[in-house]
Amino acid sequence: MRKPTIINNSIRIPSSEEHLPDVDSFLEGILRGYGVEETIIADIAISVTELVINGIIHGNGSNPDKDVTVAISKKDANVEVVVQDQGDGFNPDEIENPIDAKNLLKEVGRGIFIVKSLMDSVAIDRTTRGTRITITKKVS
Amino acid sequence: MNLNDYERDGIAVLEPRGKIMGGPDATILHEKLHECIEKGQKKVIIDLARVEWMNSTGLGILISGLTTLRNNGGELKLANVTDKIQSLLTITKLVTVFEAFDSVDEAVSSF
Repeated sequence: MRKPTIINNSIRIPSSEEHLPDVDSFLEGILRGYGVEETIIADIAISVTELVINGIIHGNGSNPDKDVTVAISKKDANVEVVVQDQGDGFNPDEIENPIDAKNLLKEVGRGIFIVKSLMDSVAIDRTTRGTRITITKKVS
Repeated sequence: MNLNDYERDGIAVLEPRGKIMGGPDATILHEKLHECIEKGQKKVIIDLARVEWMNSTGLGILISGLTTLRNNGGELKLANVTDKIQSLLTITKLVTVFEAFDSVDEAVSSF
Protein backbone atom coordinates (compact mmCIF):
# COMPACT_ATOMS: atom_id res chain seq x y z
CA MET A 1 0.00 0.00 0.00
CA ARG A 2 1.33 3.45 -0.92
CA LYS A 3 2.00 5.87 1.91
CA PRO A 4 0.66 9.42 2.36
CA THR A 5 2.68 12.15 0.66
CA ILE A 6 3.13 15.55 2.28
CA ILE A 7 4.14 18.59 0.26
CA ASN A 8 4.13 21.93 2.10
CA ASN A 9 0.57 22.41 3.42
CA SER A 10 -1.02 19.51 1.57
CA ILE A 11 -1.29 15.78 2.15
CA ARG A 12 -2.19 13.18 -0.47
CA ILE A 13 -3.43 9.76 0.62
CA PRO A 14 -4.40 6.59 -1.24
CA SER A 15 -8.12 5.78 -0.98
CA SER A 16 -8.18 3.96 2.34
CA GLU A 17 -9.74 5.04 5.62
CA GLU A 18 -6.69 3.70 7.44
CA HIS A 19 -5.01 6.99 6.47
CA LEU A 20 -7.62 9.17 8.22
CA PRO A 21 -5.45 9.56 11.35
CA ASP A 22 -2.58 10.73 9.11
CA VAL A 23 -4.82 13.43 7.63
CA ASP A 24 -6.09 14.44 11.08
CA SER A 25 -2.61 14.69 12.63
CA PHE A 26 -1.32 16.70 9.68
CA LEU A 27 -4.34 19.03 9.67
CA GLU A 28 -4.38 19.62 13.43
CA GLY A 29 -0.63 20.29 13.45
CA ILE A 30 -1.00 23.03 10.86
CA LEU A 31 -4.05 24.55 12.55
CA ARG A 32 -2.21 24.69 15.91
CA GLY A 33 0.64 26.38 14.08
CA TYR A 34 -1.88 29.01 12.95
CA GLY A 35 -2.93 29.47 16.60
CA VAL A 36 -6.50 28.21 16.04
CA GLU A 37 -8.62 27.47 19.16
CA GLU A 38 -9.02 23.78 20.01
CA THR A 39 -12.81 23.80 19.64
CA ILE A 40 -12.52 25.23 16.12
CA ILE A 41 -9.74 22.76 15.29
CA ALA A 42 -12.18 19.98 16.25
CA ASP A 43 -14.92 21.41 13.98
CA ILE A 44 -12.50 21.63 11.04
CA ALA A 45 -11.09 18.15 11.72
CA ILE A 46 -14.59 16.66 11.90
CA SER A 47 -15.48 18.34 8.60
CA VAL A 48 -12.28 17.37 6.79
CA THR A 49 -12.51 13.73 7.86
CA GLU A 50 -16.11 13.68 6.60
CA LEU A 51 -15.01 15.03 3.22
CA VAL A 52 -12.04 12.66 2.97
CA ILE A 53 -14.29 9.67 3.70
CA ASN A 54 -16.71 10.90 1.01
CA GLY A 55 -13.81 11.28 -1.42
CA ILE A 56 -12.52 7.79 -0.66
CA ILE A 57 -15.89 6.01 -0.84
CA HIS A 58 -18.21 8.01 -3.09
CA GLY A 59 -15.59 9.78 -5.20
CA ASN A 60 -12.85 7.24 -5.72
CA GLY A 61 -14.94 4.14 -5.08
CA SER A 62 -12.31 3.00 -2.54
CA ASN A 63 -9.91 2.41 -5.44
CA PRO A 64 -6.47 2.43 -3.74
CA ASP A 65 -4.87 3.57 -7.00
CA LYS A 66 -6.78 6.84 -6.70
CA ASP A 67 -5.87 9.54 -4.21
CA VAL A 68 -7.54 12.15 -2.04
CA THR A 69 -5.64 15.38 -1.51
CA VAL A 70 -6.17 17.84 1.36
CA ALA A 71 -4.66 21.34 1.12
CA ILE A 72 -4.80 23.83 4.00
CA SER A 73 -4.24 27.56 3.95
CA LYS A 74 -5.02 30.64 6.02
CA LYS A 75 -6.30 33.78 4.38
CA ASP A 76 -6.74 36.75 6.71
CA ALA A 77 -9.09 35.56 9.48
CA ASN A 78 -10.18 32.39 7.64
CA VAL A 79 -8.81 28.91 7.27
CA GLU A 80 -9.53 27.32 3.90
CA VAL A 81 -9.29 23.59 3.28
CA VAL A 82 -9.61 22.03 -0.18
CA VAL A 83 -10.39 18.32 -0.44
CA GLN A 84 -10.00 16.84 -3.92
CA ASP A 85 -10.69 13.31 -5.10
CA GLN A 86 -10.12 11.63 -8.46
CA GLY A 87 -13.51 10.01 -8.90
CA ASP A 88 -16.63 10.49 -10.97
CA GLY A 89 -18.15 12.76 -8.39
CA PHE A 90 -21.30 12.60 -6.35
CA ASN A 91 -24.25 14.90 -6.28
CA PRO A 92 -24.88 16.14 -2.73
CA ASP A 93 -28.38 17.23 -3.79
CA GLU A 94 -29.25 13.54 -4.14
CA ILE A 95 -28.52 12.91 -0.45
CA GLU A 96 -31.69 12.64 1.61
CA ASN A 97 -32.19 15.11 4.45
CA PRO A 98 -30.69 13.28 7.45
CA ILE A 99 -32.85 15.15 9.97
CA ASP A 100 -36.13 14.02 8.41
CA ALA A 101 -37.81 11.73 10.93
CA LYS A 102 -37.70 8.80 8.48
CA ASN A 103 -33.91 9.12 8.16
CA LEU A 104 -32.94 9.69 11.79
CA LEU A 105 -31.99 6.08 12.46
CA LYS A 106 -29.99 5.63 9.26
CA GLU A 107 -26.36 4.87 9.99
CA VAL A 108 -24.99 6.93 7.08
CA GLY A 109 -25.80 10.08 5.12
CA ARG A 110 -24.97 12.83 7.63
CA GLY A 111 -21.46 13.80 6.49
CA ILE A 112 -22.14 16.74 4.17
CA PHE A 113 -24.97 17.95 6.43
CA ILE A 114 -22.55 18.12 9.37
CA VAL A 115 -19.90 19.89 7.29
CA LYS A 116 -22.42 22.52 6.17
CA SER A 117 -23.51 23.01 9.79
CA LEU A 118 -19.99 23.43 11.19
CA MET A 119 -18.29 25.45 8.44
CA ASP A 120 -18.91 29.04 7.29
CA SER A 121 -18.88 28.10 3.61
CA VAL A 122 -18.84 24.92 1.54
CA ALA A 123 -18.25 25.04 -2.22
CA ILE A 124 -18.55 21.88 -4.28
CA ASP A 125 -16.96 21.78 -7.72
CA ARG A 126 -17.61 18.62 -9.73
CA THR A 127 -15.25 18.20 -12.66
CA THR A 128 -14.30 15.40 -15.02
CA ARG A 129 -11.14 14.92 -12.94
CA GLY A 130 -12.96 14.49 -9.65
CA THR A 131 -14.80 16.49 -7.02
CA ARG A 132 -13.16 19.42 -5.28
CA ILE A 133 -14.76 20.70 -2.09
CA THR A 134 -13.57 23.94 -0.53
CA ILE A 135 -14.53 24.76 3.05
CA THR A 136 -13.79 27.89 5.02
CA LYS A 137 -13.99 28.72 8.71
CA LYS A 138 -13.36 32.02 10.46
CA VAL A 139 -10.70 31.35 13.08
CA SER A 140 -9.88 34.77 14.52
CA MET B 1 -9.14 5.60 19.56
CA ASN B 2 -8.89 2.86 22.16
CA LEU B 3 -11.54 1.23 24.30
CA ASN B 4 -11.95 0.06 27.89
CA ASP B 5 -14.96 -1.90 29.01
CA TYR B 6 -16.32 -3.14 32.30
CA GLU B 7 -19.57 -4.25 33.89
CA ARG B 8 -21.62 -2.37 36.51
CA ASP B 9 -24.64 -4.05 38.11
CA GLY B 10 -24.94 -6.37 35.11
CA ILE B 11 -24.75 -3.50 32.62
CA ALA B 12 -21.94 -3.28 30.06
CA VAL B 13 -20.10 0.04 30.15
CA LEU B 14 -17.94 0.89 27.14
CA GLU B 15 -15.40 3.66 27.54
CA PRO B 16 -13.91 4.76 24.21
CA ARG B 17 -11.03 7.24 24.31
CA GLY B 18 -9.69 9.60 21.66
CA LYS B 19 -11.39 10.43 18.38
CA ILE B 20 -13.95 8.34 16.51
CA MET B 21 -13.42 9.27 12.87
CA GLY B 22 -13.61 6.06 10.83
CA GLY B 23 -10.99 3.60 9.68
CA PRO B 24 -9.71 0.61 11.66
CA ASP B 25 -9.94 2.35 15.04
CA ALA B 26 -13.67 2.97 14.72
CA THR B 27 -14.36 -0.70 14.06
CA ILE B 28 -13.12 -1.49 17.59
CA LEU B 29 -16.18 0.19 19.11
CA HIS B 30 -18.51 -1.29 16.48
CA GLU B 31 -17.18 -4.80 17.10
CA LYS B 32 -17.31 -4.44 20.88
CA LEU B 33 -20.94 -3.29 20.75
CA HIS B 34 -21.90 -6.26 18.60
CA GLU B 35 -19.87 -8.61 20.81
CA CYS B 36 -21.98 -7.45 23.78
CA ILE B 37 -25.15 -8.16 21.81
CA GLU B 38 -23.94 -11.61 20.71
CA LYS B 39 -23.20 -12.46 24.36
CA GLY B 40 -26.80 -11.64 25.21
CA GLN B 41 -25.97 -8.38 26.98
CA LYS B 42 -29.02 -6.17 26.47
CA LYS B 43 -28.08 -3.14 28.55
CA VAL B 44 -25.16 -1.04 27.37
CA ILE B 45 -23.84 2.37 28.39
CA ILE B 46 -21.29 4.25 26.33
CA ASP B 47 -19.27 6.64 28.49
CA LEU B 48 -18.17 9.45 26.17
CA ALA B 49 -16.18 11.47 28.74
CA ARG B 50 -12.86 10.74 27.07
CA VAL B 51 -13.93 11.07 23.45
CA GLU B 52 -12.39 14.25 22.04
CA TRP B 53 -14.74 14.30 19.06
CA MET B 54 -16.49 12.06 16.59
CA ASN B 55 -17.76 12.52 13.06
CA SER B 56 -20.72 10.92 11.30
CA THR B 57 -18.93 7.56 11.34
CA GLY B 58 -19.02 7.64 15.14
CA LEU B 59 -22.69 8.67 15.14
CA GLY B 60 -23.42 5.80 12.74
CA ILE B 61 -21.77 3.33 15.13
CA LEU B 62 -23.87 4.63 18.03
CA ILE B 63 -27.05 4.28 15.94
CA SER B 64 -26.08 0.79 14.80
CA GLY B 65 -25.59 -0.25 18.44
CA LEU B 66 -28.84 1.39 19.53
CA THR B 67 -31.02 -0.15 16.82
CA THR B 68 -29.46 -3.61 17.14
CA LEU B 69 -29.92 -3.58 20.91
CA ARG B 70 -33.52 -2.34 20.65
CA ASN B 71 -34.29 -5.01 18.04
CA ASN B 72 -33.09 -7.55 20.60
CA GLY B 73 -35.14 -6.09 23.43
CA GLY B 74 -32.25 -4.09 24.85
CA GLU B 75 -31.19 -0.46 25.18
CA LEU B 76 -28.12 1.68 24.68
CA LYS B 77 -27.67 4.83 26.75
CA LEU B 78 -25.01 7.55 26.71
CA ALA B 79 -23.16 9.05 29.66
CA ASN B 80 -20.88 12.07 30.04
CA VAL B 81 -21.63 13.50 26.60
CA THR B 82 -19.09 16.27 25.95
CA ASP B 83 -20.11 19.68 24.62
CA LYS B 84 -18.67 18.89 21.20
CA ILE B 85 -20.61 15.65 20.84
CA GLN B 86 -23.76 17.18 22.34
CA SER B 87 -23.57 19.85 19.66
CA LEU B 88 -23.38 17.17 16.94
CA LEU B 89 -26.31 15.27 18.46
CA THR B 90 -28.30 18.51 18.46
CA ILE B 91 -27.40 19.46 14.86
CA THR B 92 -28.38 16.00 13.62
CA LYS B 93 -31.48 15.78 15.86
CA LEU B 94 -30.09 12.55 17.30
CA VAL B 95 -30.58 14.19 20.68
CA THR B 96 -34.19 13.03 20.25
CA VAL B 97 -33.08 9.43 19.73
CA PHE B 98 -30.53 8.80 22.49
CA GLU B 99 -31.06 8.88 26.23
CA ALA B 100 -28.09 10.72 27.75
CA PHE B 101 -27.04 11.12 31.39
CA ASP B 102 -24.54 13.29 33.23
CA SER B 103 -22.73 10.31 34.76
CA VAL B 104 -22.37 6.54 34.42
CA ASP B 105 -24.03 6.21 37.86
CA GLU B 106 -27.15 8.04 36.62
CA ALA B 107 -27.21 5.97 33.43
CA VAL B 108 -26.94 2.73 35.44
CA SER B 109 -29.77 3.82 37.76
CA SER B 110 -32.01 4.62 34.78
CA PHE B 111 -32.20 0.98 33.63
